[in-house]
Amino acid sequence: MTVRFGYTILYVPDVRETVAFYEAAFGMTLRFLHESGLYAELETGAVTLAFAGEEMAEMNGLGIRPQRKNDPAQAVEIALICDDPKSAWDRAVAAGALPLSPPQTKPWNQIVGYVRDLNGCLVELCSDMTNPN
Amino acid sequence: MRPSSSYVELPAGADPLLGIEAVWLSLANQPSNHRVLPDGRCDIILRFCASTVPISRISVVVTGPTTAYYDVAVEPGMGFAGIRLRPGFFQCILGFKPISLREQTLVDDVAISACPPLATLCAETDTPEALHDRLIGFVRSRVGQDHAPLSRQTRRILSAFHASSGRLPVQDIARMHGLSARTVQRIVLDATGLPPKSYARILQFHRAMRLLRDHRLSPSEAAVEAGYADQAHMTHALRRFGGLSPARLADATLVTLRD
Repeated sequence: MTVRFGYTILYVPDVRETVAFYEAAFGMTLRFLHESGLYAELETGAVTLAFAGEEMAEMNGLGIRPQRKNDPAQAVEIALICDDPKSAWDRAVAAGALPLSPPQTKPWNQIVGYVRDLNGCLVELCSDMTNPN
Repeated sequence: MRPSSSYVELPAGADPLLGIEAVWLSLANQPSNHRVLPDGRCDIILRFCASTVPISRISVVVTGPTTAYYDVAVEPGMGFAGIRLRPGFFQCILGFKPISLREQTLVDDVAISACPPLATLCAETDTPEALHDRLIGFVRSRVGQDHAPLSRQTRRILSAFHASSGRLPVQDIARMHGLSARTVQRIVLDATGLPPKSYARILQFHRAMRLLRDHRLSPSEAAVEAGYADQAHMTHALRRFGGLSPARLADATLVTLRD
């Protein structure tokens, strides 16, 4: 039996709108959008970042606390590794992300900034620690 | 009015833009009592005698939002073609607020006097499938080109109730949308005909049913996951909304806010 980490799926109120935001704010590209508009995947390499409509939670018998901007962010974040975190952060904010914390250099020499996406989900924009230059 | 024994939903029937949650057909083979559970939804139903061709005696039934179960006596040969409306579309399609039909059902003349265009649904036809086309056509003509009678805010609030399966207090849902509890009360009452607390309790009841019946959770696990204070509270809800117990669940249709 093997198990591998394949997806992070965010339940969102509007999948198409969320995809458009991730394209504009983070420069991501769409891999797949189901015709129902209830599910989409981004081109994120080996681990897929996907969005599912909130309706999917109920359809699957789940119960979730939906993420909203006025609510505290949920106890999870999406971390995006950027070659230039400062520019990436500026672009995200220009596209409408909430400017939570501008990129700063951490004691471990990583540049880390935070925004909240259109739905209120925490997104970290950081430099690459696996391949430090 | 969804007899479970032969209840089927059209695979491509749902159309969120038109406010159609499901298009369904039910044919009765034997006399029985069918339990209708409260689901916070309203249906437009055409009741007919399936054994005669052409189908000529067609009754139109509009079911309002309910908070209690009821039983419908069904005779063999009776058929039901129905359309389940998404929360928030009732007024746009029927021309009056769902709250005015709370705990009620309108049949034939009474339904037609409340919404005269319903009369067009009762004309003779050859097949039950034609009744579906007719129901969809009726909804399409009523919703019109506008297609989205619900504001973004209303959609998000209803979605939050459904996604959380009624587990979030109304006050939380209000706060997370930057609204007062009073505003959420008005929005949910307008859209569904039920106060938000009742609506949430019904969604929670449906999830508990699903967890017990389909996911096979034990009663104590289901009570925790569905958000009841304890198993006794869940048992009380099953009895109150469905006349059921964890050991004796209904073979009823559980609905979701689907595409």
